[in-house]
Amino acid sequence: MTIHNDRARPGDQNLGVLFNEGKVRRRREWRGVKDTLYDYGRWLYILSILARFIVKPRNIKAMFRYRWMANYLAVPHMVDKFTMGLRDEPLRIVHTAMDFVVYDVAQTMENIFRGDRRTGNDEKFSAKCVLTDENAMTAFMMGFPTLKAILREVPTMFVANLLNQYSTTHYLDVAQQAGIPGDVCPMPEAEAGISIEDDFAVLGACAVQVNTTCDGSLMGNGIIAKRLEREYGIPTFQLVAPMRHREADVQDYAAQDIKNAIAFIEEHTGAKWDWDAYFECAKRVNDITRNRLAWLEMNSTNYPQFVGAPFSLYNDTNYMGNCGRSPKFPPIDRKIMKYAQHGYEAKRMMAPEYRHRAIIWGVQPQYVIDMLNWMIHCWGIVPLTDMLSMVNTREIAEVDTPENREQAYYDMAWLNENMIMRNRTHGGYKVLVDELWQFCEQMNADMVIMWEHMSCKALDGMHGQFEEQAREKGIHLVWVCHDLCDPRVYTRQAIRDQLNTYMRTVMREEPLDPTIEVLPDEKAW
Amino acid sequence: MPKFVKIPLLAIATLAGLFVVTFTVYFLNLDMKLLSKIEPFFLKHYDKMPRKNYV
Repeated sequence: MTIHNDRARPGDQNLGVLFNEGKVRRRREWRGVKDTLYDYGRWLYILSILARFIVKPRNIKAMFRYRWMANYLAVPHMVDKFTMGLRDEPLRIVHTAMDFVVYDVAQTMENIFRGDRRTGNDEKFSAKCVLTDENAMTAFMMGFPTLKAILREVPTMFVANLLNQYSTTHYLDVAQQAGIPGDVCPMPEAEAGISIEDDFAVLGACAVQVNTTCDGSLMGNGIIAKRLEREYGIPTFQLVAPMRHREADVQDYAAQDIKNAIAFIEEHTGAKWDWDAYFECAKRVNDITRNRLAWLEMNSTNYPQFVGAPFSLYNDTNYMGNCGRSPKFPPIDRKIMKYAQHGYEAKRMMAPEYRHRAIIWGVQPQYVIDMLNWMIHCWGIVPLTDMLSMVNTREIAEVDTPENREQAYYDMAWLNENMIMRNRTHGGYKVLVDELWQFCEQMNADMVIMWEHMSCKALDGMHGQFEEQAREKGIHLVWVCHDLCDPRVYTRQAIRDQLNTYMRTVMREEPLDPTIEVLPDEKAW
Repeated sequence: MPKFVKIPLLAIATLAGLFVVTFTVYFLNLDMKLLSKIEPFFLKHYDKMPRKNYV
């Protein structure tokens, strides 16, 4: 069912005009006077964050010490990718969410370099830091308000690849030169390469690693933990979440492991678990859950507002990296909600028409994560939600009582088991396949874009089941293969072409904006 | 021209000049064009750094 946008889009109509074969865009987008000035104001704000960061001597030192820091030259370019073609409330929602993610990552990097033995070397501060696995819910840090959870892989690898598609290639080569095969998931492989080349910042009283993603992640963690413990003397705890996380009989074990992690942190930092702080954070976790559900409900209607990669990345940051610990997130949530409600009431649309409503499933290609925004403008396909955003919907205990203190361990374990991605890639076919069709029904989706990450063993085994069941249910299933964060295997255009081919040959449709069907961005950041 | 007129006029002219310059940089993407030229120098620097590779 096609929905037409009655409101004409001011400014640039054909977005292909912004692209040339260079590393960056030809110019910024003309969005009409009001929205261009708004975007200009946000650009100034982003520059102010970067300026405040780079004036500190230790951060300049870090710029010259760590190869991955060069990717941060591209921060404004990344924001431009997410806002392409947007006007009105959707533009403001994306800026509110992504600008805060930029701020949050800058804060993380500030903390990293303050404690880093090679740059800031603030030993007192470092003793209050706990290195926390990028793939971990930071729930076990909710009761430690005096400690800093440092997710050092986030700026080093995860965000770097959003900024620059080639950010991982050097580290992948390093890992493969050390004998790690090339068909491992490039995310943990790149992280292993960073550790092998000694390009991670070194800080913290102790570290906590998790098994919550996959076998590739365990491989990478092993290499990283070895260097942390043997060379830098940073003891590392392995927090192990059960695979069959929906089963009742694994929850006692999961809760016990959370208790063990907390005891480990207490032992190595001297800090004591604070229940008041925990329940304060728990209230914010529930608030985050309610807001996410409200946005999803809005996306079930004809006028979705908060969608695509910014929806996913903001949720990743808020749900997993923050996990209720920072009071700075709720005001941002409220601001986004205000824009979303206003946009919904005004029936704001992001493209001239919406032709298809899609659920995005599987693991996204990190180096072309803005493809969801491209899909809206090129083909009128609205990404209603994605697999990584379909996480916990249950509210956790938030009142401090003796019973709830025991329940809290189960809640933290539940959150840890329901870390983004792994709550779908682990736990059996029900959470990965069956629930996808439920979401399609709930959100009125007629299409599923299936990311097929060619190095992901967790998802590849279900290929046949997805095909068979989508055919039975009459849902258009579009397989889009990629290699997560290695653009040398599948280029950005090779990824887009899979959707282009499906839309032209199976759907017999013409693009809304033919100027962006093929983009010369192979060399771009 | 009296001072109470001259100072606000100067302030407005300065702000307008700043706006024109920064807006030109913004719209023509000059910030990103400049920084993309700087990146190769950083990469060369990182390539020259001694490394302590360790598995």
